[in-house]
Amino acid sequence: MSHEASAGAGARLPPGILAHHFSSLSRQNEAMQLGMWLFLATEILLFAGLFTGYSVYRFQFPEAFAACSRHLELSLGTVNTLVLITSSLTVALSIHYARSDRPRAAAVCLVLTLLFALTFLGIKFVEYSAHFHEKSLPGKYYAFEEVKIPGAAMFFSLYFLMTGLHGLHVVAGMSVLSWLLWRTLQGRYSSAYYTGLELGGLYWHLVDLVWIFLYPLLYLI
Amino acid sequence: MSESGPSGRPTRALHLEDQHGAHAHSAIPYFLVWVALLFFTALTYLTGKQHLGTWALALALTIACTKSLLVALIFMHLKDSSGTTRLVFATSLVFVALLLLFTVADVATRFRPATPAGAPFGTERSQPEGLLEHEVPE
Repeated sequence: MSHEASAGAGARLPPGILAHHFSSLSRQNEAMQLGMWLFLATEILLFAGLFTGYSVYRFQFPEAFAACSRHLELSLGTVNTLVLITSSLTVALSIHYARSDRPRAAAVCLVLTLLFALTFLGIKFVEYSAHFHEKSLPGKYYAFEEVKIPGAAMFFSLYFLMTGLHGLHVVAGMSVLSWLLWRTLQGRYSSAYYTGLELGGLYWHLVDLVWIFLYPLLYLI
Repeated sequence: MSESGPSGRPTRALHLEDQHGAHAHSAIPYFLVWVALLFFTALTYLTGKQHLGTWALALALTIACTKSLLVALIFMHLKDSSGTTRLVFATSLVFVALLLLFTVADVATRFRPATPAGAPFGTERSQPEGLLEHEVPE
């Protein structure tokens, strides 16, 4: 957070950035950061509920969870992990370039991030199609021939809930990043002010964080 | 919220100015973290594929926590964030730990009739002692 409202930085500050109820830009940035982290905390707790449900049923059905996990496409899950990690890097770089007054490089990094996000969703679509084809589906729709032990349907309920909610977050993150790309192309972000971009980046990193836990817990039991 | 963050923290403001003055942020840490994340992903993949048994879950979670810490500290700039922000993040983790700990502790200490049908775990061991076999409902 290098955006203290000093004389030099203030000159390049776009109009309408500093709200009248903040005494300085640094205080506004601090408040924005805190607000975003409070939101991220609620997101963490939202996913924690699903991870808790997962823990309960994995504890009760260890064989079923292991058997179902080995029928997921490990290679696709691994590639998706690499894709998301790299997209986190490109988001971090876009913020770095924005605060280095290189908006074009920042925009390129955001476009790369969006492409990685699309790749992730595409791979997830391939996986979901296979599940629908082999009927490894949640609850009463479960009719997977290869795993017929108690708890298998529960694994796929949790699998779809967790990856589905995560996928929704990927879509939401893509919308936020697209908007930020538009703002970056307009030249809104520079060394004087880049907090908006930084907060969007935080959201994307959270999406990555959730997947870091989903990957070993779903694909590598 | 505008008051809770920066109120009464003059040292923090000085620290921010120092950072701005130095202007020494480079992209190298991000690439280093990225390489570390790739390494840890490979480690998860290679150890996870072998199904190591008892310690597999602990190892996988340790690696995942390490990766998350790297993302949070470097990518999400928690390393340079204010104490208030860190407190929010740490508090959420405390509540996640409470939720997981007590729920798993509950499930782990149940006796057979309280577990779902077909659950193989926690049957004999957690069966209460005074209960005869024919008294336990299937």
